[in-house]
Formats: sequence, C-alpha cells, structure tokens
Amino acid sequence: MALPPNVSEEEFASALSEFAQAVGDEWVFSSDEDVALYRDSYSIYWGEPEERVASAAVAPANVEEVQQIVRVANRYNIPIYPISTGRNLTYGGAAPTLSGSVVVDLKRMNRVLEVDEDRHFALVEPGVSYYDLYNYIQERGLQVMLDVPDPGWGSPIGNSLDHGAGYTMAPFRDHFGSRCGIEFVTAEGEIVRTGTGAMPGTDTWQDYRYGVGPMIDGLLAQSNFGIVTKMGFWLAPMPETFLTGTVTVPRYRDFDALVKEVSYLEDSFLTGMPSFGSPAAGGGFGQASPQMAELMQDGWPSVERLEEFVSAQGRPAWSVELRFYGPEEVVRASWDAAKRRFRDRVAGAAFEDGDFWRLPLSAEELATNPRKPLLGVPALEIFATMARNPRTNDAPLEGHADLFAILPRKAEAVHEAARAMSDAYGELGVPPAHHPFSTPLNFYSRAFIVPAIVPTWRDPARNAQSRALYSRLVDRCAEHDWIVYRTNPAFQDQVVSKLSYNDNALLRFEEKLKDGIDPNGIISPGRYGIWPASMRSGRA
Amino acid sequence: MKVTIVVAGLAILTTAALGQNAPSADTGKVVFDKWCTPCHGAVAPAGGLGDGALPGTSALRVKYNGELPAVLEERTDLAPEFIETVVRGGLFGMPITRKTEVSDSELEDIIAYLTRSNN
Ligand SMILES: Cc1cc2nc3c(=O)[nH]c(=O)nc-3n(C[C@H](O)[C@H](O)[C@H](O)COP(=O)(O)OP(=O)(O)OC[C@H]3O[C@@H](n4cnc5c(N)ncnc54)[C@H](O)[C@@H]3O)c2cc1C
Ligand code: HEC
Repeated sequence: MALPPNVSEEEFASALSEFAQAVGDEWVFSSDEDVALYRDSYSIYWGEPEERVASAAVAPANVEEVQQIVRVANRYNIPIYPISTGRNLTYGGAAPTLSGSVVVDLKRMNRVLEVDEDRHFALVEPGVSYYDLYNYIQERGLQVMLDVPDPGWGSPIGNSLDHGAGYTMAPFRDHFGSRCGIEFVTAEGEIVRTGTGAMPGTDTWQDYRYGVGPMIDGLLAQSNFGIVTKMGFWLAPMPETFLTGTVTVPRYRDFDALVKEVSYLEDSFLTGMPSFGSPAAGGGFGQASPQMAELMQDGWPSVERLEEFVSAQGRPAWSVELRFYGPEEVVRASWDAAKRRFRDRVAGAAFEDGDFWRLPLSAEELATNPRKPLLGVPALEIFATMARNPRTNDAPLEGHADLFAILPRKAEAVHEAARAMSDAYGELGVPPAHHPFSTPLNFYSRAFIVPAIVPTWRDPARNAQSRALYSRLVDRCAEHDWIVYRTNPAFQDQVVSKLSYNDNALLRFEEKLKDGIDPNGIISPGRYGIWPASMRSGRA
Repeated sequence: MKVTIVVAGLAILTTAALGQNAPSADTGKVVFDKWCTPCHGAVAPAGGLGDGALPGTSALRVKYNGELPAVLEERTDLAPEFIETVVRGGLFGMPITRKTEVSDSELEDIIAYLTRSNN
C-alpha cells in the first residue's frame, strides 16, 4: 500500500478511520484493488516508480463532509487531491499530482442545483457530468444549449478547472471563461463563495461574477488553493437553427487572408467555432500522409514548391468551415455577409453550403448525428479516433498525452509551429505528424492551437520514447515563446518553468499565496508547479 | 469493528434471501445504457469518426473480424471475470471505471445483462 509522504502506517490508519467517520466506511477506499481504480489509465509512466498513484480515496456526499475531510487531512498532514468526475484523460486521469495523496472523489456530489431558462445559467455540484446536466435539461424541456468537450462523461466543474474547452460560440466554449460564481472549501475547512455569492441571500450569484473587490476565481483553476463544491455557468439560449458553410481559398499564400477574415468574423460574433482544413493535403490535422512525407523529404519546402504542389493537386490549398447559430434569417444573412467579405478579399475564394438544422434536434435525429459536440450534446464518439482500427490492429493505442501549443492567430505562426514540431519529431526518429498544410484548432476564440497527440502505452520502453518527444516539444515550443494551455502532471514543472519572466515572478507570487492559504500544503501539492514550502527545494 | 462486520454480514444475507441484491439483468441494461452504450451501442452516427461505428463497436469489429459480434450486447461468450477485469482495469482506449461511477453491485447487474444469453 502506498503511504502519504512522511506519514507513518499507524497515523495513516487512524486518519483513514477518521475519514470513515466523516463519510461512512463504504466511501473510504484503501484496499490495493480499490486504490488502483484511481490510476491514470493513460499514464505516460504506467507501471514505473514515477507513476502518480494515490494512497487511498474518499468520496464525500456533501460540503460538510468535504470540510471534515480537509480538517482531518490538516491534522495528519496528509496531501489530498480533489477530482470532480476524474475523467481527465491525457492530462492525468483520476490520479493525483503527488504520489501518496488521498484522492477526494467528488463524484457523489451530483446535484444539479438550478438551471434558469430565462437568465440562461446553471448551478451544479462537482460530480454532475455533462450527460447529467444535459439529461436534466432534456427531462424538463428547458430551452438552453450546453457547450460540451468531446468526452461527455467529464464535468463542467472538473473540465473548467483544468481550462477545458468545447465547440459552440466563443463565450461558451471557453469553459472557465463561462463560469459565474464559485463555492469552495479552503485548506482550513472554511466555505467561501466568490462574486456576489459572498452576500447572503443574493439572487445575482450566477448573473454578475465580479462581486466587489478582487475576483479570486482564477486561483481555483489549474492550481491547489481550494476544493470547489459548487459552480455556476452561463449557458446559451437554445438557438433556433444551425447552419454551416465552407469557404475554400486556392493558393498556399491565401492562408494569411483566410485567417484574418475568420478572426474578423469570430471577433464580431458572426460565426461559431471555425474549423480549418486543407483539401490539397487531404486534411489538416493528424498523421502526415505518405504524400506529405514525400513533400518534406528534402527538408521544409519553399513557398514556390508548395504552390506547385497545390496546383498539381487541382484542389484548393485551404478551407474553413463556418458555423452559425441563431434565427434562420440571421444565420443565412451572416453566411451571405461572410461570402461577400471573402469574395472581396481573396481572389478565387469559393463557397459550399453545408448543414442546416432546426434546433433542438429530436433524440432520434441526434442518435445518428455525427456532430453532437457542435450542438452541445454530450457523446463519447471521439474515442473512435484512437480505438483499434485496421491500421493499428497489431498494437492499438493505449492512451495519449496531448500537447496543445497556444499561438497568435497568424498564418506564419501556424506554419512555424508545424515546422518546429515536425523537426522535433524528426530529431527523435518519430514519423512526422505535422506538415506545411497543418491547420490550427480554435477552441479559444482569441488564440490558435497547434496540437501534438503523443501516444502512451502500458509499456515502459515505448513510454520512455513518448516522454522524450513530449518533453522535447515543450522545450521547442518555449524556444519559440509558445506555451501549452494545459498539461499532464508529468510535465507540469517543466511547463511552468518556462514562465520565466522576471525570474519566475508569477510562480513565486503563487507560492506566497500557497504558504498563506494552505500552510500545511495539503491540497494537491505540486499541481501546475505550485509546491508547498516543505516540498519546494526539489523543484526545477 | 467485529460488531460492524457481523451486522454487515447479516445485512447481506437478509437482502440476498429477500432477493433484493440478486444481480438483475434488467437493472444491468439500464446501467449499461448509461455507461457503456455511448461506445458499445449498435446505432452509430452516419459519416462519423472511426469506421462509422461507435468506438467500442468499431474496435471489436476489427478485433474479431466477424468471428464474434461487434456489438457487446449480442455476445454469448463473455465470461463474468473478463467483463469485470476490463471494466475495472481498462483495455486499450477504454479507461478504468471507478466504483463511485459504477458500483460493484451495478457491475454485477451489467454482468448479468451481458451474460443473459450465454451458452
Ligand atoms: C479522446 C479525448 C478527447 C478529449 N477532448 C477534450 C475536449 O474536447 N475538450 C477538453 O476540454 N478536454 C478534452 N479532453 C481532456 C479531458 O478528458 C476532459 O477535459 C475532461 O472533461 C476532464 O475530466 P473531468 O471533467 O472529469 O475533470 P476532473 O478529472 O474531475 O478534474 C480535472 C482536474 O481539475 C482539478 N479539480 C477537479 N475538480 C476539482 C474541484 N472540485 N476542486 C478543485 N480542483 C478540482 C483536479 O486537479 C483534477 O485532476 C479529451 C480527452 C480525450 C482522451
Ligand atoms: C470510451 C469508450 C468506451 C466505453 C464508455 C466503454 N468501453 Fe468497453 N471497450 C471500448 C473499446 C475501444 C474496446 C476495445 C478494446 C480493444 O481494442 O481490444 C472495449 C472493449 C470492451 C470489452 C472487451 C471485449 C473483447 O472481447 O475484447 C468489454 C468486455 C467491454 N469493453 C465492456 C464495457 C462495459 C461493460 C462498459 C460500460 C461499463 C464499457 N465497456 C464502456 C471502449 C469503451
């Protein structure tokens, strides 16, 4: 059995019995078999000494029990690690950042406290999954639309606290950005509410998020300053219709104009999440095709060579799908306006109408609809991209660790990132995934993401290669002044070390807060590089 | 401690005797629909990801190449221990399921459901 650092077996046993008094025997998990369920299924250290593993797990049913857990942990100096739905796959799963922590599994706190159909918000507990919230809304026929990440079994709270993102309109797909009002339990066991929630009896907790004075909400995400027990989220009113249209531009050089115009449309709230692609290259994202590999075999091709390649393909160099939400008159007018603007700005721009649906779709229509996340409908279909297929039948993927680099919305930055990542793969002898026609993702409306999906295995040798690649990508991105939006605990210290402005002043500030707020350093030690004073000496 | 164990033991005996805790294939179907069908269902989105089937179904179609049904609910060969090992340990892209998600008794129900037509 793993033990928390510097805690004896006797102390741990008596802490566990105090946890059991708080939550009931049934909800303290301490057998090896039960604790193993908190392993990260996609761990990049699976089965190695460095794999992050829990010592036990405890599952409270309400906020009072969370308070009691925190007090016990403080008395015994036991690190605890809160999870909401614990489905943080590729970013650590349900496993703690520090081995030996006790996972506080909030899955049982699963009440939807409120969904307001007129003011368009929800207030939920941590264990409420996107499926749960969606079903609650469906059962009551409420006319609001969620914004969901690809896997629907995660939670608004867990996902947003790791800065997760979805697929609809700009203000909603940044999940932490769409929050309004947080309740959390401090390391000392006190309940705090942010925003106007600090006023007893307020009726604006989910309407106005600043309250008065500093807004401390940000301290609770990607960090370790408290255990969130309630959180409000702004929702979209159910749009009347959904319409898509695709724009193509002919030349390699046209990407610059395409990007600028798409930014104009997004920042004017005229389109939902745009989706870029490259018809000439047969796609924009994922494993480079043999054709792309051939194009890159003598090094990164010149612009002239790329233009020749595009002409030879006889297909447009780039595409973008725009997605419009709203009344039919409005979405059709927005698409018309977008076409006019592209026509005026890019010679040879062409257009194709896509889907047009009246919302909400019925359950029957949704069952066979492949675009659920675009409509705020939870699903798990994304796992098909990694599931065993004819190509991988001999060695199906066991997991992945995602690296999503944040870039400015500039064509040249996208090309530079594709090249830098492609070089990093090449240096380690890994077949390239990026190429001159790699396209960005637009989860965050104001930034681009160029992703790298690094495979993980239950085999130490292959994981060692994956770690080398991931780590090299982090370094290479930092050389270009790009940071990732989120990362696995295995790389959090490395990533945070890149935030080196003024001698890592940001991290030093966070450490001071940590020392003041959580003096014993019990909550999620090491999360995103924030270690308590007693463990700080060893950090990078 | 001893007292608790005896009482818990009695509780199990009593409810088992009353038939309340016997695994139920009907309950199993409800739990399966919630936790498994999004990946193992038969109805897939048209033109969707993967091979045009849900993740579990498409993986099992490739894995058994027609020798066994791709849809888990149509199988008649699944051993209870195998189902338990896969659900609690994960298998390739399918991750671990915790007891706060699917409890031990709900897993028994799923097993009763998936093995209902076993030979
Ligand atoms: C194939 C695939 C596709 C994916 N697609 C997306 C996507 O489209 N968008 C996206 O955002 N992610 C995506 N992910 C990543 C991840 O699976 C989701 O973000 C998922 O929602 C996170 O898990 P969760 O919601 O259960 O959060 P949890 O695991 O519950 O929480 C995540 C972390 O937040 C902290 N935390 C959670 N709850 C609390 C609390 N109450 N108090 C304090 N701290 C807390 C903890 O550190 C915890 O480890 C994808 C993963 C895979 C494998
Ligand atoms: C995220 C998608 C996903 C979910 C949810 C899921 N599975 Fe799976 N499951 C898979 C995939 C993918 C495979 C195939 C693994 C492989 O390639 O061998 C699989 C395989 C299995 C197998 C092995 C079958 C065989 O013959 O190899 C069993 C049993 C199984 N799942 C049961 C379940 C049960 C029960 C649930 C619900 C509690 C569930 N799964 C939920 C994706 C999922």
